[in-house]
Amino acid sequence: MKVILLRFGELFLKGKNRKLFEKKLIENIKTKLSDEEFVFHATSGRYIISGYKPETEEGIVQKLQTVFGLHSLCLANGVDAQEEIIRQEVIKVELKNKSFKVEVKRADKTFPIRSMDYAAKLGGLLLDLNPQASVNLYHPDVTIYVDIRENKKAYIYYNFVRCQGGLPLGTAGKALLLLSGGIDSPVAGYLMSKRGLELEALHFHSYPYTSELAKEKVIALGNKISQYCGKIKLHVISFTRVQEEIHMHCAEEYMITIMRRIMMRIAERLCEKNGLGAIVTGESLGQVASQTMQSMTVTGGVVKKTPVFRPCIAMDKEEIMEIANKIDTYETSILPYEDCCTVFLPKYPVIKPTIEKAEREEARLDIDELVDFALSTEEIIEIG
Amino acid sequence: MIYLDNAATTPMFEGAMEVMRQEACCNFYNPSAGYHAALNVSKSLNEARKTLLEKLGARKGDIIFTSGATESNNLAIFGSVRGGKTEYVFSGGEHPSVYNTARALQDKGGVVHFVPLGKNGQIDYDELEKVINDRTRLISIIHVSNETGAINDIKRVTLLRDKLAPNALVHVDGVQAFCKIQFSLDQLGIDLYTISAHKFGGPKGVGALYVKNKQALKNIVYGGGQEGGLRSGTENVAGIKAMEWAVKNIDVGANFKNTELLQKIFLENLDKKITWLETDSPYIISLSFPGVNGETLMRALENEVIVGTGSACSAKHAGNRILEGIGFNKDKIKSSLRVSFNAYQSQDEVTKAAKTISVRYNEILEKVK
Repeated sequence: MKVILLRFGELFLKGKNRKLFEKKLIENIKTKLSDEEFVFHATSGRYIISGYKPETEEGIVQKLQTVFGLHSLCLANGVDAQEEIIRQEVIKVELKNKSFKVEVKRADKTFPIRSMDYAAKLGGLLLDLNPQASVNLYHPDVTIYVDIRENKKAYIYYNFVRCQGGLPLGTAGKALLLLSGGIDSPVAGYLMSKRGLELEALHFHSYPYTSELAKEKVIALGNKISQYCGKIKLHVISFTRVQEEIHMHCAEEYMITIMRRIMMRIAERLCEKNGLGAIVTGESLGQVASQTMQSMTVTGGVVKKTPVFRPCIAMDKEEIMEIANKIDTYETSILPYEDCCTVFLPKYPVIKPTIEKAEREEARLDIDELVDFALSTEEIIEIG
Repeated sequence: MIYLDNAATTPMFEGAMEVMRQEACCNFYNPSAGYHAALNVSKSLNEARKTLLEKLGARKGDIIFTSGATESNNLAIFGSVRGGKTEYVFSGGEHPSVYNTARALQDKGGVVHFVPLGKNGQIDYDELEKVINDRTRLISIIHVSNETGAINDIKRVTLLRDKLAPNALVHVDGVQAFCKIQFSLDQLGIDLYTISAHKFGGPKGVGALYVKNKQALKNIVYGGGQEGGLRSGTENVAGIKAMEWAVKNIDVGANFKNTELLQKIFLENLDKKITWLETDSPYIISLSFPGVNGETLMRALENEVIVGTGSACSAKHAGNRILEGIGFNKDKIKSSLRVSFNAYQSQDEVTKAAKTISVRYNEILEKVK
């Protein structure tokens, strides 16, 4: 009988809260596999998925590999707990010149050989069959587990595959992701979800300056990351009038600074309204003029009560792109539709803005009215 | 809503729709089957071939029905390819279905020449003359530019062929010309001619390739050997008969005159800041809106007037190869839009469209300046 063994990651660090985290993780696993037929079993330190149809195994594994909080998984074979049958199964392991160890767990104490002795016996057998291999009890390349259970079944497994790691989705609360359609913001969303945050997303469009396709692109990106981050409520807000007003009244080099300050105000208002605990952005230090330390100070300065998480802050573009490829958002992100930040783009945006200057520029606008107006254009799209 | 993107596609004639329904309903038999009912369908297809040949002004040659212009162009180009030291000539103003096929031929090691465009949007005939030689196997030139409405002088092309490479084939992509401007294939001396039904009131998914001499062409898809072996696959009978209906019912001369008038009225009613490229086909005109992004204007207009940004087949890609080829700078390309008429539109409609476009243009200009 085939089974999938799951190991969870950082949860073991948790003390009294561990139960809560585990409960959420199990709930997330079951939700993820809700379309599948399977039996879930929790043992100490690992979970076992069994009772699925063999043809669904690949799909189940793929889904499990998107669950935050799982450290690794392994496909195992359950056989009758008889020495000869176990031996037949163990000798299938190809070791070549790798180092290895055998670990036996004997929950069924009626099994005739003690764990340590049995491990040594199987190890010797493997060594005979693989003369190039060596035993290493502390840092082996391969660990072969033989798990003899009370139900007279033995599970033999090795080769754990890495899963996402992180913390179970939903254990850290809910935040608002600023989703532009570029490469960085979906990655930022993924990274924060990995730490247990559920997401809602905010997208600004500048129709007719930007195309409807830009919105479709953001929805496609939302769909991609929802594989990991779960259902996402996407708030789409028209930024056209705000941009027109800034363009008309404010100094050109402050266009982007003021724009981003208004975006942050709108984001915080949405957080308050929807009970979201943080704002997540894809900013990376120094990537563009609006992402210098000074720019972030000035744009972040308008957010009063909500933390702003910038998980990409210390990452190179290449590192961000690597993750974008991994989560399959890269190809969508590079579709050439203009986003609202490319409209009215000043030739020389200010690199080191100051709050005083930004406030002076903003004094020419009715900021509250603009924020209210923008919020009144909100369209909500459920994704995932 | 006023539709001015007729170069992308045209609304279907009611009559063509009715024919399509009738054919799908009553004459559904496979034209290649052996029984009487099927034979009638086969005959009916041959009638459609005759209708097309007649409209094309071709006394000899064959019509190969295809799924549309892209397939016809691929068949014309890859079907002409021969081994040995052969060369292939294309204009730089071709539609993507020719241009990208030429690029694919180049990638496969074919010797391919692209002839640049002149400022008027037509090919540069002097440059064309330079690249034609006795190794030339195929010359493929668009008849009417889908971007600018420029009409290439095909007679001049075939005369150059006769002089410099008498064995070469001349293929013409006539998608924006057939049923829109008057010509005769026999007079022009063309070997291969591409048409597409949905550009003149027929259905999508139907087109044809005129072939003067079938021996000169090889099939590029394999199958049951329909269309004289050149295009396997059961013919889209209902679509073909609907295309035939459109061809029969179009008065090319009258439509041309009416469209000329429509274009004139349209241009007279445009804001004076708006400029355009003068070309010969009244059906298509490339407009420039100084200071405004063409796409922005297109979207701002879309509840009132539908216009295009150029080839719909390439609208998703940045830049415009053809306008660039004519010598437009980046700003001018960005500010360009394509307006394309339908002969059956009213003067009031195009007047209203021109006025609306002007108003919206000025509104945006005011906001972005």
